Amino acid sequence: MQTVETLNEGLKRAYTVTIPANDVAQRVEAEIKSIAPQVRMPGFRPGKVPANLIKKMHGPAIEQDVLNKTVQDGVQQLLAEQKLRPAMQPSVELVGGDYEPGKDVALKVELEVLPDVPPPAIDGLKLERLTVEAPTDEIDAQIKRIADQQKRYDDAKDGHPAVEGDLVVLDFAGSVDGVAFEGGTGTGMSVELGSGRLIPGFEDQLEGIKKGESRTLNVTFPKDYGEKSLAGKAAVFEVTATDVRVPGETKVDDEFAQSLGLQGLDQLRELIKGQVEQELNGLTRTHMKRKLLDQLAAGHDFPVPPSMVEAEFGQIWAQLEHEASHEEDPEAARAEMEKDRDDYRAIAERRVRLGLLLSEIGQQNGVEVTAQEMQRLVQQAAMQYQPADRDRFVQYLQQDPMAAAQLRAPLYEDKVVDFLFEKAEISDRTVTRDELEAAIEADDDTIGKGHVHGPGCGHDHHDHDHDHDHAAPAKKPAAKKAAAKPAAEEAPAAEEKPAAKKKAAVKTEEAAEAAPAPKKAPAKKAAAAKAEDAPAAAPKKAPAKKKAAAE
Amino acid sequence: MAKKEAVVDNRHYDVVLKPHITEKTTLLSEHNAVVFQVAGDASKPEIKAAVEALFNVKVTGVNTIVSKGKTKRWKGTPYRRSDVKKAIVTLAEGQSIDVTTGI
Repeated sequence: MQTVETLNEGLKRAYTVTIPANDVAQRVEAEIKSIAPQVRMPGFRPGKVPANLIKKMHGPAIEQDVLNKTVQDGVQQLLAEQKLRPAMQPSVELVGGDYEPGKDVALKVELEVLPDVPPPAIDGLKLERLTVEAPTDEIDAQIKRIADQQKRYDDAKDGHPAVEGDLVVLDFAGSVDGVAFEGGTGTGMSVELGSGRLIPGFEDQLEGIKKGESRTLNVTFPKDYGEKSLAGKAAVFEVTATDVRVPGETKVDDEFAQSLGLQGLDQLRELIKGQVEQELNGLTRTHMKRKLLDQLAAGHDFPVPPSMVEAEFGQIWAQLEHEASHEEDPEAARAEMEKDRDDYRAIAERRVRLGLLLSEIGQQNGVEVTAQEMQRLVQQAAMQYQPADRDRFVQYLQQDPMAAAQLRAPLYEDKVVDFLFEKAEISDRTVTRDELEAAIEADDDTIGKGHVHGPGCGHDHHDHDHDHDHAAPAKKPAAKKAAAKPAAEEAPAAEEKPAAKKKAAVKTEEAAEAAPAPKKAPAKKAAAAKAEDAPAAAPKKAPAKKKAAAE
Repeated sequence: MAKKEAVVDNRHYDVVLKPHITEKTTLLSEHNAVVFQVAGDASKPEIKAAVEALFNVKVTGVNTIVSKGKTKRWKGTPYRRSDVKKAIVTLAEGQSIDVTTGI
């Protein structure tokens, strides 16, 4: 293999690599030899096909295969020989278009190398940790919210006429024109008066019903009723109330906590506190991380590969475009984007630089993602899929190192940041939640935050897709908030809006980056709340279903 | 018979049907022989003429064999698979036919 350097300019390199025809031919022979034992052909016992016949039959395909492999190996060898660290996948081109058997293979390889990252100064970092005490009133509010979701019904006194909000348990038999229709009869159905879930008029006529009382209800099915044969028809329901219940106040006490499957109120309080603290810790971490990145960015300056910046910029731009298309006035939004183009480019450059820096720090200090952690990550990611697809997903990850790297990157970054936190001098300061949020907000004005990563983490620009997917949901509310702000201030002046928007963009990147910590907290909370709902919801749900059948 | 000119004629294509490629026939190539499937009514001289004309070689001998089709049954009714006539053609010293390339 011969290599000639044709370009060496900045971070760009270009080489011409010549692989002799002999080399290729030898590889083809070896390849045929290796596949021969598996070949089946009519007229031959398996694996007994002579080599020359195999070559005749599968020659071109094998040759193509071998050529690809040779080219890959050639590039690898080139990188190893020249001690290059490519920033992107090198672009490889066959000189003279197609390969012809029996001729030397000439390759044109173009790539950008990673810059030599100066030894990062990670000593003497000074950070301030803003901690927030979980406020008790917030915990109380949380508990109250859970309590409100739990509706409880007490048996009413005998002779209590049902009013709106009460639960009436009844048996019913419905008929149209004197003929009972399918699904029109049932027993033990619970109806919450005033909920409006049944056919109009049904609940109204139940009002005032007492336990044990029978009534005849005349109702008309709505015109757009799901069951075609009943739509628009008048129906008669014979109902008997077997029970009337009144809603009871849910008191926040030990009993309430026990109904949620906990041991007591204190435990519930602890749980909620943990959730709130988790959320606040996420905020704290976001703030610290941002400060850390700021310090790193300020302390280092080195050239970064333009193609990486371009890719990163492309990502940001695509995201903005996407957002702009959802704006009320896409044209105007686009125009604003154009105006800030340079700013976005600066953001992209900063991100790439920080990414390189972080991966360099990680490498130098032996920060690694263990197999165990990787396993957990894979499990987590697999949970998003249908159970049937999970195995396939895991397999895909095992086969595709690129995909695995994508998964690993955010964790790796987090670990490096953790490592830096340990190194740094940290001073603690207790603040309120508002102050902390304000501090994060204030940072947004400085350009270029957030999501950082580098090729050293073993991923190329593709993985941004992944990250930005996460960013998308987080971004929307933020953007809306930002957009809403100027409107609220009655100053939708053109100068203010772009600023707000940029802020939003920057912020959401940050949000995406901090996603694992702060975003998880609310999600968990929701899940928890849901779980707590479940017992209450279950009995309610069943009658609702029956109700649907009755209508 | 125009032995020396070896003009390719349409009937030659009708005589030699296709090469018979198996493990056994590849071994035969060591003895300078190739095996073809030929028409059932082809005679040895015809086969010799056809091979010489089509592949432009000198044939020193032709042996033939008719392998009878098996008797099979389908829904209980017996039927017979077609017979196949094979010709083992020995070529003159130093000559060869690339059986995989077709005519």
